[in-house]
Amino acid sequence: MAEETLLTDDFLRQLINVGEVDILVGLRTHNNATTIEPVIRAIQAGILKCFPRERVVIINADGGSQDRTPERIVGASIDDVWSVSKVYALRTLHSISTRYSSSPEPGTALRTILAAAELLRAKACVVISPDSTTIEPDWLQKLVRPIYADNFDLVSPIYRRHKFEGVLMRDLLYPMTRTIYGYGVREPYASEFAISGRLATDFLTKEFWNDERSRAGAEIYLTIAAITGNYRVCQSFLGPKAHSDRGASDLVAAMRRTVGALFSSLDSNFPLWSTIVGSQPVPTLGAQFEVMLEPVRVNRKRLREMFATGVAQLEPVFRSILSVSTLSELQKIAALEVDQFIYPADLWTKTVFEFAASYHKSVISRDHIVQALVPLYRGRTLTLLLENRGSSGEDIERNLESLCGDFERLKPYLLELWADRK
Amino acid sequence: MSLKRQAGWYKDAIIYQVHVRTFSDSNGDGIGDFQGLAQRLDYVQELGVTAIWLMPFYPSPLRDDGYDISDYRSVHPSYGTLEDFKTFLSVAHDRGIRVVIEMVANHTSDQHPWFLESRSSQSNPRRDWYVWSDTDTRYSGTRIIFLDTEMSNWAWDPISKSYYWHRFFSHQPDLNYDNPAVREEMWNVMKFWLELGVDGFRLDAVPYLIEREGTSCENLPETHDVIRELRKKVDDQFPGAMLLAEANQWPADLRPYFGNGDEFHMAFHFPLMPRMFMGLRLEDRKPITEILQQTPEIPASCQWCLFLRNHDELTLEMVTDIERDYMYDLYASDKTMRLNLGIRRRLAPLLDNDRRRIELMNGMLLSLPGTPIIYYGDEIGMGDNVYLGDRNGVRTPMQWSGGWNGGFSAADPESLYSPAILNPVYGFQAVNVLSQKRSQHSLLSWMKHIIQVRRSSPVFGSGSIEFLYPANHRVLAYVRQSGKETVLVVNNLSSAAQAVELDLRGYKGNILIEMFGRNVFPRIGDLPYLLTMGPYQFYWFKLRRI
Repeated sequence: MAEETLLTDDFLRQLINVGEVDILVGLRTHNNATTIEPVIRAIQAGILKCFPRERVVIINADGGSQDRTPERIVGASIDDVWSVSKVYALRTLHSISTRYSSSPEPGTALRTILAAAELLRAKACVVISPDSTTIEPDWLQKLVRPIYADNFDLVSPIYRRHKFEGVLMRDLLYPMTRTIYGYGVREPYASEFAISGRLATDFLTKEFWNDERSRAGAEIYLTIAAITGNYRVCQSFLGPKAHSDRGASDLVAAMRRTVGALFSSLDSNFPLWSTIVGSQPVPTLGAQFEVMLEPVRVNRKRLREMFATGVAQLEPVFRSILSVSTLSELQKIAALEVDQFIYPADLWTKTVFEFAASYHKSVISRDHIVQALVPLYRGRTLTLLLENRGSSGEDIERNLESLCGDFERLKPYLLELWADRK
Repeated sequence: MSLKRQAGWYKDAIIYQVHVRTFSDSNGDGIGDFQGLAQRLDYVQELGVTAIWLMPFYPSPLRDDGYDISDYRSVHPSYGTLEDFKTFLSVAHDRGIRVVIEMVANHTSDQHPWFLESRSSQSNPRRDWYVWSDTDTRYSGTRIIFLDTEMSNWAWDPISKSYYWHRFFSHQPDLNYDNPAVREEMWNVMKFWLELGVDGFRLDAVPYLIEREGTSCENLPETHDVIRELRKKVDDQFPGAMLLAEANQWPADLRPYFGNGDEFHMAFHFPLMPRMFMGLRLEDRKPITEILQQTPEIPASCQWCLFLRNHDELTLEMVTDIERDYMYDLYASDKTMRLNLGIRRRLAPLLDNDRRRIELMNGMLLSLPGTPIIYYGDEIGMGDNVYLGDRNGVRTPMQWSGGWNGGFSAADPESLYSPAILNPVYGFQAVNVLSQKRSQHSLLSWMKHIIQVRRSSPVFGSGSIEFLYPANHRVLAYVRQSGKETVLVVNNLSSAAQAVELDLRGYKGNILIEMFGRNVFPRIGDLPYLLTMGPYQFYWFKLRRI
């Protein structure tokens, strides 16, 4: 049993005191003292407002904060929320904290939270990002109610984003996941989500937990596990998502966590995904948002330079990953000036599939493969910026749907690569 | 024989609430009476209670179950005679059982001779015994209590062509306590019964005695003046007699009714009762500890009165809207179970006839600070009949045996004042005193035992309380202390077994002696004291330093 070695005695003692719960709210933290208070207030208000009768516990899995983040979570009194909202709590609300490690490991933090959810027999487990300062109390309801009332097993968020935000998600993770697994989850790697108790229990038994690299991408594994396990998946519109500056600069690490995990999942799931053709929409709840269209300043020249430099410097690496034709196309694009720059969707799709196949075959170190995708992703980002400068929300959606169409149309190409026939 | 009225007797009392009509019928007319009640006092004595509270037994048109009195100095003929009452009182006292009677002081029946005189003409000497007005606009800031039936607190009297004031039903005109003659006469009434030997009164509807323009006409300072005046007379002339306030208010609003120990001796703690039910269903001590934290200190001579159920609906006036909705959903999902702002059900059906929960609730009733009141029939787990109107479903005949009318009456079943409970679960053939007396493990036997244990220690009646707050919120734990005696009470509100760690370092060196089985538990040390508890289990431990 995973929890036997995962949970400390002190944490276990706290869990015994909490006892069985209906809803477990998980917070994975590491030095979040500056943002945690509005988040915890919103969670408490959401509990009071939407789940006054349910047994709820807030569990903080902390990765060695030095700024007293856990103390702020445990010390937040629900009476303060009550005095503002005048909504009364019927029950005791427990907030407990455990330090699972002295350094942050989001996958281990999630595993700790899920193990607690299993022990406490939570009907629903919702994970909230400690950076989500735009959180509203009703997020809790939007995430939990579909599990509670409609028997969904995974509720994935949809945020109101700026049209140039979440590019990695829209340009790679979403179309790739949708194409591979046949299910259009818009945020397959979400920082907020809710899962049912039965999915949590099942997910804890997965082998990938034992691999540190895989564990880092636990969220995407969770989405895949829900889809491949025939669990009921839905999406819920939440609202604007605060843009966290922390780690935004570390694109390589983000790619390893997300793209690496997604590529890795293809290995074991091949018998399943290889037979899937096309995709089906995911039930989506709530009022849809318009994307935000305000102009933003981006250093396009720098993006182009990073792309061109990457293509030039990593040519030996690309030769082992990409097909000759794809590399040749990329080199042509690298020579273009900013104003003429375009990295077409079908070429991007082929690039991603060739990377995925190379990852599968481990032609070089898998980490290096993912890392090598970073400059190409920057080039693709530049193309999106240029293409969508004047686009409306509808245009953005249409382009995204077209990209997904390319991914799905070219899926046989990926299968051929997988079978090593190219 | 008169039982000597000792000061403070009520603090250690255990009160049994009875309606004469419901308990035992001696003459076969289908209605319980004083002779029948007197014959059943052996049972009451065996149960172990130390006092009886009688609901109104005065002559009355019975349009509000006797709370509409038409003669304060007599007994309703259906229940017997004044002599029968005296005999009953004597037999009760012989058994060491005190008797508290109802005093409906705020209002009379509109059939009371005082009111008949008062309304007869505007110049009648008793005109000013009630509150009259030419308009129905005075005291407009006063709420209407019986919203379901009354449109106004004023009623038009076609005889004297003016309006009279009533806080309850329109057939219950309020007495005018601004009139010294009324106060004097009501004292004479109380003196009449005290001279017969009763041990105290439950004063009904006390917040409403006085009216003043521009106020809510509730809890007014002048009302407290009236109470202090009555109390002084009681203390001066009948020391040891007890006054119990019925005022359905928040604890902080009730506190003034204790005054400086110079108003009421006792008052019902209305908000605690629904929260005990709520805590049990939520499996969370929060509602109980919160309301007791909000309960102010009261003078040393005073006492709270605690109850689980009584003759009225389980009132939900003193809870928030969200709590009321929860209580309705969990305890009265069938809307016929609801009445006014409450739930008209008995204890056993409320708790799904779950013996463990019934025991736990009684365990808390008998160990929290206050004088407990047990409603007749709840000691055997009687059921109710929600299909009878008003609150009559919880006022059905006492179930003495599995025989004719449950042993309540020899009358034809059709002529009983109320049909007996007949269903297979709660009917008298399944639930009755006779069969439960024969079993050591019956609810009745268990109730006798716990009452005996409660009476074995003074801490429950007069001890202080200190709540422990173990991290496990499903466990309600407190320490009762009086003098050198200390008792630890631990209640598991959960339907599942629980482990709980109690911080008992302040009692280090003591051993725990479980009060029911007298088993010894390990000595308290420096570490948290670990207990494991079964579903709905509770412990009473006496702490001893040996």
